[in-house]
Amino acid sequence: MTRLLTALVLSSLVLSSVARAQNRPAEPAPRDTTPPAAYFGVTEYRMAREKLELDMQRTGFTVYIIADMEGLAAAVRNGTEMRPVSRGGSPQHERFRRELTDEINALIAGARAGGATQFIVNEGHGGTLFRNVLPELLDTAAILIRGYPKPIVMSTGINPMVDAMMIVGAHANAGSPGVIAHNFAFDSFTVNGKVLNEAGIAAFIGGEMGVPMALASGDDALTSETREMLGPIEIVTTKIVFSRAAAAGFPPAQVHRQLREAATRAVRRVRSGELKPLALARPYQVRFCLRRSYDEWVRTTVGSLSGVRPDGGPGCFAYASESAEAVGNLLNEVEWTVLKP
Amino acid sequence: MVRRSALLLVMAVLLVAPLAAQGNAAAREAFRAKRVPQQAGFRVFIVPDMEGMGSAVDIREVIAGNEGEQYRNLSSPDYWDRYRLLLTQEVNATIRGARQAGARSFVVNEGHGGNLFANVLPWDLDTAAMLVRGFPKPLVMITGIDSTFGTMIFTGAHANAGSPGVMAHNFAFDSFTVNGRRLNEVGINALIAGEMGVSVSLVSGDDVLVAETQEMLGNGVIGVVVKRAVGRMAAITYSPARVRRMLQAAAADAVRREMAGEFKPFTLERPYRVEMKLRRGYSDSLVNTVAGLKDWQLERVGDRTFRLTSNSARDVGYLIDAIEEAVLR
Repeated sequence: MTRLLTALVLSSLVLSSVARAQNRPAEPAPRDTTPPAAYFGVTEYRMAREKLELDMQRTGFTVYIIADMEGLAAAVRNGTEMRPVSRGGSPQHERFRRELTDEINALIAGARAGGATQFIVNEGHGGTLFRNVLPELLDTAAILIRGYPKPIVMSTGINPMVDAMMIVGAHANAGSPGVIAHNFAFDSFTVNGKVLNEAGIAAFIGGEMGVPMALASGDDALTSETREMLGPIEIVTTKIVFSRAAAAGFPPAQVHRQLREAATRAVRRVRSGELKPLALARPYQVRFCLRRSYDEWVRTTVGSLSGVRPDGGPGCFAYASESAEAVGNLLNEVEWTVLKP
Repeated sequence: MVRRSALLLVMAVLLVAPLAAQGNAAAREAFRAKRVPQQAGFRVFIVPDMEGMGSAVDIREVIAGNEGEQYRNLSSPDYWDRYRLLLTQEVNATIRGARQAGARSFVVNEGHGGNLFANVLPWDLDTAAMLVRGFPKPLVMITGIDSTFGTMIFTGAHANAGSPGVMAHNFAFDSFTVNGRRLNEVGINALIAGEMGVSVSLVSGDDVLVAETQEMLGNGVIGVVVKRAVGRMAAITYSPARVRRMLQAAAADAVRREMAGEFKPFTLERPYRVEMKLRRGYSDSLVNTVAGLKDWQLERVGDRTFRLTSNSARDVGYLIDAIEEAVLR
């Protein structure tokens, strides 16, 4: 009895101290602003490229597929459909991981029918720290680059041995009327005055290596703006946008068929020389504005990156370079600043 | 009244604790003396870890979240569940290959601390295999090893602490050296098994693990690169089906060459001069717990660095057990 009493007294003491701790106003944790370069893997673009090249065949036709999620057939809601339970999302994410894998497999099947012989898939969706494709259901011939941080997030390892790039599940640019429209950490991003969305930035980095962006799929806002940006590449429109989180979706099975057919055409058009790499004049004049929603420390950190100088309003910067690869690394450092796990 | 009963309670705990410890010591000796049942035929001891398995890149994929306070926020059961099955399939592929080459007896010892060493799915594992699972267990990663095993295989292994590999680490250490040589987890276990005359014939993991282990063991051990690290939690990966094909072929090759006597057990000169540095992130109280471990005369030579001289790698293994227990408690 006395022991029980003691236990009760002790536990009530413990509980009340826990309660006190919970009621205390949370002090802002000091933000870790370690320069990204100090973290292994963030700027190791060349190492990643060399490692990928070890796995690539020297002959044949290689397709490099960037896999995002916002533009998938039927996907409309970021919080539940593109985010797993473990990162504050919902179990529905699992079904959309499957849809993502199915759409990539459709692209691979179509590309193979057009004569492609090697397939590299690079995870491009950060909501899960770049782990969305279901490895065991992906076409077994494919190489899958996954995880974070990885060099040049959406173009990891891209090299001149790649023959064509494709982007699936892509979303429209920041400010465009598309489902979950955005552009990395930016409200705007231009090179030599040309507006680029995420597909466009990948095309710019690949373009320098002679690799054309041959196909983009996503909602109607994404497909129309990307054609405007990159010319008459293959597109597959998966849904018609009604709001940032609503759309009229084409049936997934129909989307898969269209992806297969478009991928076949894309490979043929690249092989015939009809689709060309995106080429911009050097030096590349990059101008970007960070998302307005970011805190001051993000602007400060990005402003302190090497070669970045203030340009225009708060959170807007300019960067000049002779190399798209260097622009890719800059992009990487900005992503690292806002995404650091 | 309350104060007096609290005092009594404290005294009771103080009295009981040493008795319990003595009981534990006797039980521990009994556990250490146990062996897995003998079986006829060529015996293979397989140690599956998870950080180096195909497709896995992120700690959330290999942690269940129930391992202790520090892991709670790293859990991602939706991912971990999927990787348990892939892990089991990798082990099955390894067993298939070994069997093709004539091996007949298989012991699988959980080498990964996720879910406290219970990751392989027992119902999906090759039915010929015995599975050692749970924690604590004597000689964590090679519980049940003895001189009757023909060869040892490490799958899903990860690179050493400080190496640029996926989820690279080394037990509880930032560095672990024996006679001045840096050893990773495979190396430490290979040394213990080497004392029993058992050699390592195959390791699989990322490119960094394979390269460093081949150099460390220096016995021509076969390496299967199942992914290439491009970040601490990012990699170039291959289809699980392709990984299984590679493992099956390599395991057959490993057993065939082991039967031909091609791989030497890993040995170092005695006495072993061990120096270990605990991880930077560990609390002072944990470091002090290690410093106070009764059964070992650890010489503290730095903030969190200890030295030990021993003639038995197995004893060093038991020390690592005690440290793992302190960490995972």
